[in-house]
Amino acid sequence: MSAATTYARPAGLSSLSAIGMLRSEWIKLRSLRSTIWSYAAVVVVSLGISLLISAAAVGFGGVEGIPIAAATYGIYFGQLVVAVLGVLVISGEYSTGMIRSTLTAIPKRIPALVAKAVVLFVTTFVVGLISVFGAVGVSLLVLSGQPDVALSGEDLGNLVLAAVYLALTSLFALGLGTILRNGAGGIAVALGVILLLPTIFGLIAGITQAEWASNALPYLFSSAGTGMYTPSGEEAFSQLHNTVIVLVWTAVSLVGGALLLKSRDA
Amino acid sequence: MINAEGLTKRYGAKTAVDDISFTVKPGMVTGFLGPNGAGKSTTMRMIVGLDRPSAGTVTVNGKRYAEHHAPLREVGALLDAKAIHTGRTAFNHLLAMGATHGIGRARVDEVIGLTGLESVAGKRVGGFSLGMGQRLGIAAALLGDPATLILDEPVNGLDPEGVRWVRQLARHLASEGRTIFLSSHLMSEMAQTADHLIVLGRGKIIADAPMSEILSSSTRNTVRLRSPRAAELASLLQGAEVGITSTEPGLLTVSGLSAPVIGDTAARAGIALHELTPVAASLEEAYMDLTQDSVEYHAGAAPAVPLTPAPVAPQEVVR
Repeated sequence: MSAATTYARPAGLSSLSAIGMLRSEWIKLRSLRSTIWSYAAVVVVSLGISLLISAAAVGFGGVEGIPIAAATYGIYFGQLVVAVLGVLVISGEYSTGMIRSTLTAIPKRIPALVAKAVVLFVTTFVVGLISVFGAVGVSLLVLSGQPDVALSGEDLGNLVLAAVYLALTSLFALGLGTILRNGAGGIAVALGVILLLPTIFGLIAGITQAEWASNALPYLFSSAGTGMYTPSGEEAFSQLHNTVIVLVWTAVSLVGGALLLKSRDA
Repeated sequence: MINAEGLTKRYGAKTAVDDISFTVKPGMVTGFLGPNGAGKSTTMRMIVGLDRPSAGTVTVNGKRYAEHHAPLREVGALLDAKAIHTGRTAFNHLLAMGATHGIGRARVDEVIGLTGLESVAGKRVGGFSLGMGQRLGIAAALLGDPATLILDEPVNGLDPEGVRWVRQLARHLASEGRTIFLSSHLMSEMAQTADHLIVLGRGKIIADAPMSEILSSSTRNTVRLRSPRAAELASLLQGAEVGITSTEPGLLTVSGLSAPVIGDTAARAGIALHELTPVAASLEEAYMDLTQDSVEYHAGAAPAVPLTPAPVAPQEVVR
């Protein structure tokens, strides 16, 4: 076969790029119904909880700090939903075989995970902002005319931090999903870390009075997460300290996932 | 151009691909054959970097697949019809795949048209038949208009019209000077599509030759003849290297002798011939010859009729 018959590709065509990978992951995220439902659930439940709490507060009279409390309660629920979504974003690719298409398009692999993480973080952050500020808005509407409901600049900063925590939770779960490559397993571990670990450590500390358990408690993912957006008391870690703890959990999960993604056969 | 050197893949103690070297050349269709478990799919997955070789290297157009700046424009691969998220529509799947390389809507619509998926492009892939999934996989492979195409069992699940379309597509793309590497278990289809064959058995290459060479090397090139005195002629034709079978009275199938030799023998004995036809071995027969020692999974029950009749001693069959 002479070289003359070899197919010559036209020059100057677009190639694999960071922007392209981000766009691809955005198309993937928005084109699944599970994404739409999950994010809708986060917003709707967040606003609903705020409505309930605020309405109840009106009856009891004491409304100081209620808008912020009402808004952040939604995060307790929202973190579970985005954790499930974070796992599914990658485990769904493994269960359907899509991961092979993804890694054929992006054979260096790590950039594929980074693009996924960036798109998931930004989207979840925006949904988080809509949730918390929407919830505050609902609360202020219900409590309109009541005294002591004005928000400080610090309050607004904490609301943004709550949205950041939600976004980091989705990334933590994405890392777990990448490590485990399995939806059920990934969701079990993610929810276990978020929901069960604080309870288990709390129980151990309560029953045995073990100091290590009560010492470890604030280092847990969701404990530190709550501390991220809640003004700290006397003994607790600072918000910055809590943010660093959550970032470490997220980084360990994602880096672990990235290393395995790179080394394993797909 | 695909170039494998000493390519090896081990899974624990099992060696799936065992130190194979081969070249898949542009401008022709290279068929990749072998029994189940011979290592074809593993080899194809190693070409696009989904599996990491235990040893050896494989390059596409001189570079490892992952080192290309635009992998999808270099190689289009259909490795597994199920490499698609079932919850996404066909259109969005192609759009997302193309987006990584800046390939836009226009090309997506083009490959949808090319593969005949217009009517289902907006439907979620979960509801697709095997054949539609296969067409979508081929559409994805064509997205980057690649110079090299790797197609693992592309006609699997396609209707006859689809099978024909894949054959014509492969031939057409090869005629443009592209490298086409395809596997199939449909021997008749492969015989019509491929110019060159690489046959794998138990992880090793057992043949790497032009189609014509593989066909002519088969021991099963035979001559069919009809004669009212077939039995008499059969006894004249007997010899050490000669195999004669008969499936109906007056009809003989002779291996090991050429048609002229048989015709001359009959003429000398004054035996009339009503038919004398050289029959080339089919690819299926040539393939069976090549792979009979390297089949990984044999059917459990022994068939009542031997599947491989040659060579048969003449006295058994001449009536």
